[in-house]
Amino acid sequence: MALPNPPGLLPAEVAFLCEMEQVTIVPRQRLDRLDLLGGTTRPLIPPQKTTLPLWLAILLKRQRRANIVPPPWLYPESLEEILELETKHFQDSFSLPPTIPPTRQADFAGKSFYATTPFVESCTASATPNALPYHWYEISEMLLEAASDDVAQPDRVRQLLRDLREVRLAKIRKEVETLAGDGEGTRLDGVGAMELSESRGFLTGVIGGLRKIDASREQARRDREEEERENRRDNDDDDDEDDEMT
Amino acid sequence: MSYYDVDAILTDSQKLPCTFELDVPGLGFLEGNVGGTVKAGTKLDLPMWLGIMLAVSTGNTPGSSQLVTLDFPTPLQQRVINALKADPRTVDLRAQAPHFYALGARIMELFDDRAVLDTLLSTFKLRAAEIADQALNPRGALGEGAEFLRGLDETERQLFKAAHEGPKAVRAWTLDLKKNT
Repeated sequence: MALPNPPGLLPAEVAFLCEMEQVTIVPRQRLDRLDLLGGTTRPLIPPQKTTLPLWLAILLKRQRRANIVPPPWLYPESLEEILELETKHFQDSFSLPPTIPPTRQADFAGKSFYATTPFVESCTASATPNALPYHWYEISEMLLEAASDDVAQPDRVRQLLRDLREVRLAKIRKEVETLAGDGEGTRLDGVGAMELSESRGFLTGVIGGLRKIDASREQARRDREEEERENRRDNDDDDDEDDEMT
Repeated sequence: MSYYDVDAILTDSQKLPCTFELDVPGLGFLEGNVGGTVKAGTKLDLPMWLGIMLAVSTGNTPGSSQLVTLDFPTPLQQRVINALKADPRTVDLRAQAPHFYALGARIMELFDDRAVLDTLLSTFKLRAAEIADQALNPRGALGEGAEFLRGLDETERQLFKAAHEGPKAVRAWTLDLKKNT
């Protein structure tokens, strides 16, 4: 065992990945374009709104050079709506993630490609208001921490986020009942990155435990499948011989 | 299951009731009768690794019966299984066997008993949900959940630890975020 960490991403790593998300800001000072590894940023001209990666936006916010526009789902009204969806309409599954159409982009050589979910903006001011994106928990924590004066009713938002988290964690725990030792999975659509990181140890532990208990039946099933495959191969061989004969 | 897995070794050393079908000379030390013969029909509690080896071996003459027949160990006998069916949460599995599920899985390889296997699976699932609740509840380990947590078997203890570590790491990250600002 080289690395003492459990499998999967640690919360800090999840948060690090989340810092790549684009957010909308309103600059307060002019700033020329920056040549970053992830591409160049647009020059900041107040008061034009523009999008920046979260880490840069938080940096500028701390230096009081910009204000962050929170994504539409981070308003009390939207969170209330999501909470209602979560408790009333999706009692057994998670509320749906935002449907983000893949966008056409050009890479450094000018070749166009389609960017999909993690590389498409889901936390800018134009995001879907009634769906939680993949990085909802980390991004809302970080925004509430660094830019709580930009968020409307931060205390109410905090409370709603806590409620949402509780509801969804309870659902993850309930998923356990649908698991079985035969390798059948469970659906985790719409679960956020941090929630996955949080529950990974437990869920994989349950699946592993069930599989260990069910090992005898699994072995029997494997033997049976192996046998069937053998039989089929034999049959195929017979067919081949028939073909040759005719 | 790894060769060096301590849990697997401990599981294999749990006792299994065996009944000898043949007279075996020289095995008398197993019942404290050194140098003597084990008579057919003797019931002995043997470690699982020995019991299984004896159960799959036959006598010298072809067609002779197996050396020993195995029985369900106490933790898996009907009394316990019935209790698990009634309410999995109230049974103290650790008192039955510290490696209850591992023992169960091992026994299921020998006996094909679907009903017992299904009971074990549903027990594990129901108790896992309870474990997750207790792991997230800060008072659980000390207050009303203490009794239940004492009765967890080894697999469940690891599960409890995993269920406890995840939210703890997220909480630590949130606190870190506040400190660094």
